[in-house]
Amino acid sequence: MSSWLADTIERAEEVNDWLSPKRKKSLSLLKDTRWPTRKTEAWRYTPVNNIERARFNVVESQGAPATDIPHLNAIDIVFIDGIYNAELSSKHFPEGLTITQLSEGNSSSWALDSFSKTKPERHFFGLINDALATQGCIIDIAADATIEQPIRIAQSFKQGTQTHTRILMRLGERASACVIEQLEGDELCFNTSFAEYQLAASAKLEHYRLAMQCADAISLGGCHFHLAEKAKLNSNLIGFGSQLSRVDYDIIHAGQFTDSKFNVIYLLDGKELFDLHSAIEHTQPNGKSEQNIRCIVADHSNAIFNGRIHIHRDAQKILAEMNNRNLLMSENAQINTKPELEIYADDVRCAHGATIAEIDKEAMFYLQSRGLSRNEAQVLLSFGFINELVDLMNNQAVAQWLRPILKQRFAAMEVS
Amino acid sequence: MLKITDLQVKVADKDIINGLNLHIKPGEVHAIMGPNGAGKSTLSYALTGRDGYQVTRGSASLDDQDLLDMEIDQRATAGLFLAFQYPVEIPGVSNMEFLKVAVDAQRLARGATKYSASEFLKLAKAACKQVNLPLSFLKRGVNEGFSGGEKKRNEIMQMIMLEPKLCILDESDSGLDIDALKIVADGINSQRDGKRSFLVITHYQRLLDYIKPDYVHVLADGKIVKSGGPELALELEAQGYSWLESYDRNAGDASE
Ligand SMILES: Nc1ncnc2c1ncn2[C@@H]1O[C@H](COP(=O)(O)OP(=O)(O)OP(=O)(O)O)[C@@H](O)[C@H]1O
Ligand SMILES: [Mg+2]
Repeated sequence: MSSWLADTIERAEEVNDWLSPKRKKSLSLLKDTRWPTRKTEAWRYTPVNNIERARFNVVESQGAPATDIPHLNAIDIVFIDGIYNAELSSKHFPEGLTITQLSEGNSSSWALDSFSKTKPERHFFGLINDALATQGCIIDIAADATIEQPIRIAQSFKQGTQTHTRILMRLGERASACVIEQLEGDELCFNTSFAEYQLAASAKLEHYRLAMQCADAISLGGCHFHLAEKAKLNSNLIGFGSQLSRVDYDIIHAGQFTDSKFNVIYLLDGKELFDLHSAIEHTQPNGKSEQNIRCIVADHSNAIFNGRIHIHRDAQKILAEMNNRNLLMSENAQINTKPELEIYADDVRCAHGATIAEIDKEAMFYLQSRGLSRNEAQVLLSFGFINELVDLMNNQAVAQWLRPILKQRFAAMEVS
Repeated sequence: MLKITDLQVKVADKDIINGLNLHIKPGEVHAIMGPNGAGKSTLSYALTGRDGYQVTRGSASLDDQDLLDMEIDQRATAGLFLAFQYPVEIPGVSNMEFLKVAVDAQRLARGATKYSASEFLKLAKAACKQVNLPLSFLKRGVNEGFSGGEKKRNEIMQMIMLEPKLCILDESDSGLDIDALKIVADGINSQRDGKRSFLVITHYQRLLDYIKPDYVHVLADGKIVKSGGPELALELEAQGYSWLESYDRNAGDASE
């Protein structure tokens, strides 16, 4: 066993709170799980040994909060270095919405019951998060409630911190809401951030995970969704790579007539790495899932996408689509993309495709011949590659805030 | 305005332009005609600086500035414009956004202030109308899914917006229906102000009926083999290229 893991388990054994019964199970699983190496299939392209090498503290929070998103008018839940900041967070919530802190203790039996229920056990760092996450929030939306204001969960991380946060959310029947998970920080830190969402029948969730930690950050996390009959999910993931960024997505279509849309943009530069593993489970008939993954890699960066679609035997009449398009800005960048289809039903439509393209030289010349500098041309072309997905975002404030940030990132990239 | 002296251009290790001379003065319209594969587009790419079009000899200047020494975008902001024979489709980049960045770059280079969003929109709409494209084309991806004729009109729209000094029009008339030809010709004529110069590459007399060139040149085998007034275009239209003494279709092959 790695010494890091041994230390972590030792620390986790000291955690004692209302979630301890759940943590125990994950801890015992952890003890039986091997530290991921290149030989571990789910970690083939993503080395995690820098976690062992780096030194982190469990510090008292004192960094700055994540960047404000103008015109969002959100209900804010703010964490700085993994610790809830009441002062910067909203205190009053509209009717039908209850938000409590994980650290406050048990709020209801469903919270205890649903902790680590949607998130599959196979995620190694998910187990670590189970054992160590004492911070985070519990969001409960009553049946039939429509929460107009988006809920923003803003997390920022500073140098040297090690943090583990967890989000638990339940949407009652026919409820609807929008959640924005925002993660920021570019210094060497280590965080795991996992979120579990339960959508009851006919509930609707619009979701954003703005995984914008970059450069030296080490970030491991996941979003796990459980959809009951007729539930609808629209999720957007924006990923900036870092020395180690890994996100696991699980969308479990557990009822009939469920519908999920998952749009992903990731942009990597320098030596950054971003690894996305998505798993779509269709266990019931008449479901629909659509994934659009667009990725731009520059310099020596490394993009990994593993997309699994699992259609169970009785899940007939499923429409599942997965489309992965990659833009390679440099010969030294790497893209590893792998679809994994497991289809046991016979009456389904499943389409998947992956392409890797380079910046179109002809288009570059055309734009430059109109007076655009190389850099300007490149920004336009890169943005053109992902534009469509930004335009599809329902929340205009998020889209508007993102556009210049994405452009800035393109401007820094080099075509080579 | 444009001065080309003894230009030699290599493409894929082959000499395509070979000792070409051309001098265009401010306000003049020159037409270049010539058989397929003669090197007309090659000349326009060499002037605009396209990768792979290697100038191995000679010089080219725009208003006494050495073109060949400049980056592609510098040539453009110095006032050179090429309406492409085959405009490129760029999905995902809206025509409007592209035009705005391009016009901003041009104005910056000239020391003029940027247009405000509303000023720009007004100009773009006017230019769009002038070439008879529906305003919805401003929102579409650059040339994305445009028909052949729509692409050509989009090139003319860009020319109008960018206000260049020298416009090279590479077969802007090919593939156009009769009405569109008139629109493109009118677009070009509207930009003639006595100072702006034009180099019009075409295969047909018809366009020249509308835009009345000052000179007509025949480009064959990498150089200008004959120059004359507008009447030369009429002769070519009637007789083709074979009557030209100095042009023999097999000459290039025979000398190799
Ligand atoms: N990238 C290239 N690689 C190889 N050959 C090329 C390339 N570009 C041009 N050529 C060749 O150079 C010659 C001149 O081509 P060019 O396109 O300049 O002709 P053109 O006069 O414009 O003809 P057209 O009237 O058909 O448009 C042709 O023989 C063409 O095949
Ligand atoms: Mg040509």
